[in-house]
Amino acid sequence: MSVVWQQSTHGVPRRKEQLNQVTARAFVIGIVLATALVGGYLALGAANVRLSNEVWALHNGVARIQRESSRLETEIARLSSIPVLQVRSVALGFTPAESVEYLELETP
Amino acid sequence: MLRGPESRLRLVSVLFALVFLIILGRLVWLQVIVRAEWKEEVDVLLDRPYGLPAPPPGVIVDRNGDLLVGNAPVYAVGADVSLITTITDTLQAAADLSPLLGRDVTSVQADLAVEDRTWVRLAWAIGGEAAYKLEDLKAEEWYWLTLEPTWERYYAEGALASHTLGFSNDEGYGYGIEAFHYRLLKPQPAVAQGEVDAASEPYPEEMAQGKLRAVQGTDLTLTIDRTIQAFVEGELDRAMADYGAYGGTILVVNPKTGAILASVSRPAYDPARRSEYADEQRNLFVDPAISVPYEPGSVFKVITAAAAVDSGGVGRDWSYYDSGAVEYGGAVIRNFDRQAYGPQDLQGLLSSSLNVGAATLSTQVMGADVFYRYVRAFGFGQLTGIELAAEVPGFVHLPTDWDWTDSTLATNSFGQGIAVTPLQMVTAVSALANHGTMMAPYIVAERRYSDGTVVPTTPRPLGQPVSRATADYIAELMANTVSDRYDKARVPGYPMAGKSGTAQIPVSGGYDPVEVVTSFIGFGPVPDPEVVILVKLDRPQIEPHLRWGTQTAAPLFQSVASRLFVLLGVPPTVAVVEP
Repeated sequence: MSVVWQQSTHGVPRRKEQLNQVTARAFVIGIVLATALVGGYLALGAANVRLSNEVWALHNGVARIQRESSRLETEIARLSSIPVLQVRSVALGFTPAESVEYLELETP
Repeated sequence: MLRGPESRLRLVSVLFALVFLIILGRLVWLQVIVRAEWKEEVDVLLDRPYGLPAPPPGVIVDRNGDLLVGNAPVYAVGADVSLITTITDTLQAAADLSPLLGRDVTSVQADLAVEDRTWVRLAWAIGGEAAYKLEDLKAEEWYWLTLEPTWERYYAEGALASHTLGFSNDEGYGYGIEAFHYRLLKPQPAVAQGEVDAASEPYPEEMAQGKLRAVQGTDLTLTIDRTIQAFVEGELDRAMADYGAYGGTILVVNPKTGAILASVSRPAYDPARRSEYADEQRNLFVDPAISVPYEPGSVFKVITAAAAVDSGGVGRDWSYYDSGAVEYGGAVIRNFDRQAYGPQDLQGLLSSSLNVGAATLSTQVMGADVFYRYVRAFGFGQLTGIELAAEVPGFVHLPTDWDWTDSTLATNSFGQGIAVTPLQMVTAVSALANHGTMMAPYIVAERRYSDGTVVPTTPRPLGQPVSRATADYIAELMANTVSDRYDKARVPGYPMAGKSGTAQIPVSGGYDPVEVVTSFIGFGPVPDPEVVILVKLDRPQIEPHLRWGTQTAAPLFQSVASRLFVLLGVPPTVAVVEP
């Protein structure tokens, strides 16, 4: 479908012009779509970069937590090691058992 | 002259098309025509290795889950010396770093001042407070420091079970479980090669490929109980001090499964400080329980007796006349006290530990073929397959060997001229304690993989060297031996079976005239033993007339066994008679 109109300059009519509206709409839609596609692509790329950075940071975070966890494990092991426990036991007044006797209990 | 919207529309369209064609042409130029050239240049700039901090190696825990070997986070410290601009910086940095690195200022200063390299290593493993201070220094001042996160093995109990735990280098060579299971314990680092940015962070496309897969090492749970291990180590140390022994070994094994509950050898070492030992001290790293064979002496008579009974050559009514000496293959075999014991049965042979009787069994009752068939069936001369590095098979001379002589058959019967490892000896006697079934010794109770899978070790029999009847009969004889002769090996409340040994030590050209290895091997409570204990003392330095297994190893066996039953929660099976 076309639209015909006549423009005048200083009162002098110019020649009649005809614009194909379908072509114009298609052109505009094309531009909008291309812009949307490019924008979408850029947004997706940016999101991808952001997520990738987050994943990388999480990987590093896991490694950091793992190291902290290991450090705490070794510290717990040190504090509960036999030499440390012996020193603490003696400090608390315990002494090694010299003899152990079993009590014979009657079973019902 | 353009007139009207249609004309302008056409013009804009043409312009757009032109721009598009220019871009397209440029893309084709870059992506197709000069692609290889640019790709090469970009690859050099962007394609680099990248990775995450290494995951930790597997840990080793005892049967109750108590940590034996863990991982301490440390930094490998370096310096990008090309970024140090002034001599003042070098001097100040050396002064700051020296106490944190544990090095003297001069050497750090020399490292930082090198001119032929851009980067130098300053320390391999810095942990604890020093690591935190290095982090601060790097963040605040010395940005050229490189701190590579890595791990250092942490031995939670110090030198406890050092021979068993061992250590390994980066190639997996070393000692103990650490070396044997190096590949299991070792983590798989998360490293890859690909396109990275200036901060060595991978591009999204690179990340999307998921190349980084860090895998922790496999955790191992041992059969060892750290409390029992510590107790047994203390007992061995005390006995070595009492008897002036140069070394010793104690093995505690569950005969029903083959699980090793404690493995102690002296002299020991501290694996965390292994680099401080001098070259001539490096033999301390070798585990005597599996890597140093010894002549077992009279404890081997129980093997000879079992073989004789199982082969049918000896019945319960068997006896022989002990004249105090017997000649075989040109060698004269005498009893330990050079006495003649007259008519003796198998019980007398074991109770009095008669060499003549043992030689009679191997030479006259069995012969070489039968005797050595049983020696092999009990596992001597072969590896047990324990999961420890550097196990040796010992030395068993067979009639087919060039250096075997007839006299070897006689001396082997009482444990001389044959070399076994303590683990072989305890495994063989475990067969007698376990009604004839010899279980494979093992020390790893379960493996815990990084994905959470737990694979327990299934006890497996190594074989049935003798029948159940034979094993029970020999166990009965050994129990009688303890109750009749070895008052120093008795444990109140627990019927024990055992045999002592006192072996000469081979030296160049014969045997040492003075030094001996004393040992005692026993199990209890019979008839359903929970533990087999081997006690061995090397070269005790007490009065020569007291250098016997009955005088040194037997009391140690008694002290270990009596407390061991309490630690294991084994109640007495017979009433304790108060003296």
